[in-house]
Amino acid sequence: MAQLRASFQEELRELEELLDVESDLVLRSVRAAVEALVTRDPELADEVIAFDDDIDEVYLRAQEAVELLLARQTPVASDLRLVLAILHSNVHFERMGDLCTTIAKLTKLSADLPPDEVLLTAFREMGERCEEMIRIALESLHARDATLAESLIHLDELIDLSNRRVVSRLLELGPENLEWGLRAIVASRCLERIGDHAVDIGERAAFLATGEFREFTDASRDPRPLT
Amino acid sequence: MLFAMLVAFGTLAVLLVDTLITGWPELDRQLFSGPPSTVPEEAGARPAILATLYLGLIVLLLSVPIGVLTAIYLEEYADRERWWNRAIEVNIQNLAAVPSIVYGILGLAFIVRGIGVGRVVLAGGLILTLVVLPTVVVASREAIRAVPDSIRQGAFALGATKWQVVWRQVLPASIPGMATGSILALSRAVGETAPLIMVGAIVYVAFDPTLFGSYTALPVQIYNWTKQPDPTFQTLAAAGAIVLLTIVLGMNAVAIFLRNRYRRQW
Amino acid sequence: MVTPMTQMESPRIDSARLAEVSRGLDRAEIERREKVFSVSGLGVSYHGKPALEDVTLDVHRNTVTAFIGPSGCGKSTFIRCFNRMNDLIPGAKVEGTVLYHGADLYARDVDPVDVRRRIGMVFQKPNPFPKSIYDNVAFGPRVLGLRGGLDERVEKALHDAALWDEVKDRLKDGALGLSGGQQQRLCIARALAVEPDVILMDEPASALDPISTTRIEDLMHELKREYTIVIVTHNMQQAARVADMTAFFSVVVDDDGSARRGILVEYDTTAKIFTTPSDTRTEDYVTGRFG
Repeated sequence: MAQLRASFQEELRELEELLDVESDLVLRSVRAAVEALVTRDPELADEVIAFDDDIDEVYLRAQEAVELLLARQTPVASDLRLVLAILHSNVHFERMGDLCTTIAKLTKLSADLPPDEVLLTAFREMGERCEEMIRIALESLHARDATLAESLIHLDELIDLSNRRVVSRLLELGPENLEWGLRAIVASRCLERIGDHAVDIGERAAFLATGEFREFTDASRDPRPLT
Repeated sequence: MLFAMLVAFGTLAVLLVDTLITGWPELDRQLFSGPPSTVPEEAGARPAILATLYLGLIVLLLSVPIGVLTAIYLEEYADRERWWNRAIEVNIQNLAAVPSIVYGILGLAFIVRGIGVGRVVLAGGLILTLVVLPTVVVASREAIRAVPDSIRQGAFALGATKWQVVWRQVLPASIPGMATGSILALSRAVGETAPLIMVGAIVYVAFDPTLFGSYTALPVQIYNWTKQPDPTFQTLAAAGAIVLLTIVLGMNAVAIFLRNRYRRQW
Repeated sequence: MVTPMTQMESPRIDSARLAEVSRGLDRAEIERREKVFSVSGLGVSYHGKPALEDVTLDVHRNTVTAFIGPSGCGKSTFIRCFNRMNDLIPGAKVEGTVLYHGADLYARDVDPVDVRRRIGMVFQKPNPFPKSIYDNVAFGPRVLGLRGGLDERVEKALHDAALWDEVKDRLKDGALGLSGGQQQRLCIARALAVEPDVILMDEPASALDPISTTRIEDLMHELKREYTIVIVTHNMQQAARVADMTAFFSVVVDDDGSARRGILVEYDTTAKIFTTPSDTRTEDYVTGRFG
């Protein structure tokens, strides 16, 4: 039998592709934000801040598209889970964009402060890890692969480790770098939050694949130490 | 109920068997090929049989077109609001129930004498047509009514005119019903006696009938024979009755066969 | 290595396509298309009792327009005005104007037969003629005198109605032997065979099973590329799925509860009607709070 509701299937595909567009923008934003932070480039930081408008545009379009699709096509079963997954992922991407903007703003404020090699390396690592996690999260969504989605936990742990390294390094550096240090902590925290959002998208991907929503890690049951 | 059925069928069976037994000896070629004669051994019913067939043909050719067209007009074109259409509506059923001898009297007055055609086959045919016309109209109307309105709507929606809808959809779909009704009406016409006697189916006709010639019909011939004293004539009458029954029952069988074969599942 | 961000265009971003996802046509785009029907102040009454009052709306080319509303709101009466099928109902009177490509549909010199050739109709219960499949589709062209190339016409119509593959080997078989969904597609083919401009559908799928319904809806998506389609449906999800514009009709009852008339409450893009309708009555109806 030929496929039924061809135009509806086409709409779902296009909606999923919107996420690709959005993730592409976010990846570029992350890359540029980290680059600006590490090279202390205020002009690049400005561009990152302006670029957030593009991400917001796609975000709003996706929100509207989801609303219209739900109203007009009343999707059920896996189609409904897909639309809900897209709805949530859309929000996470938008938050990632905002976090990049925050990093860029911090860069502008601390452009003329002395850098520290260890910290810069840590930031670069965290940036690369974030990009990797975003790609994997999106891949697991497209492939409906719950196992792939779960692998994000390990990458998230690596980011957490890097975050803790930043904190302990800053404690080593002492109080004369306080201003820079405070800003660096916030920037590190932003990158760690980007990673968390990627994990959230992975959770949505697993929900899409299995029909069951499950948090991958739960702070109240996490056996790892806090520091 | 079973008992009632047995009584009905039993009576019919007894009648048929009795006629068959009585008439069997005279059921021969002479019956079909020879003219009537005062000599019973030589008597035949050929003119009567021929006339009956002619009459049947006239009735068929007249009543079917007139009846069908009337039914079409009444069902498809007539405005129900108009009083005369309602009047026709009511009276068609009544007409079908009028005793046929009344038609005979009317026919005598208006057709035989009024128009002046005389006591001829044509007159007999016309009278019989009048007798069965209401039945044909009623049967045709039923057949037309049985065609669902959705068919008409569908045809109109394609841009067909009223006549195209009737001619190309309604009529073809109602032909089986009309055919059945017509054959039944015809079989009734063939068996009518009283009106024919009224309009002059002369009892003793020894020559083959023509359209404008004197005639007698099979039922009349039978009646005539039963009046003769010679017992051979009684046998002849019974034989004639067998022929008539065969014709009538045969037509009915054809009608029933047609109805069953072409019954439409709407 | 990062190049200035705003200068680098991703090959996948296509802002025009981006804008179209799920949105469907918006009001401005629809109104740019040619007006096929322009209705103003239309009212219909049967034997003096009004059934529908004061309807004004436009139908545009190559769109699907749906009429929804509770029973008795006059939507079937309304759609029958477009091809003058109300003429066949004794006592029916139509007031107001219906313009078809700018010309008055109810002008004195307009032949309803000609109207119905250009504006075809498909009914709620499939009504194939008791003839062969071929003769069903060929009936329209035959009565209209379109003799030439009958075989090709029939084949094209059956193709366009997505029925050809299923019946191509049995065109001489009786149409009544087809399933319900096939019969309805046959009725669509029959309407297409006379090459109309507009196809009216009065609850075309309400007598069909869900799969046949979906096939008819998919067919509408295809057909609207060539034709203009107007449908009446009591299933508002169907209107949401297929229609570009949706008109919501409702019933008003006189104070003494005697006369019930249909009125047009709201007419807008389907997206608007089903996300942010302007009228509370529309909202109540589409959310199912009021039937």
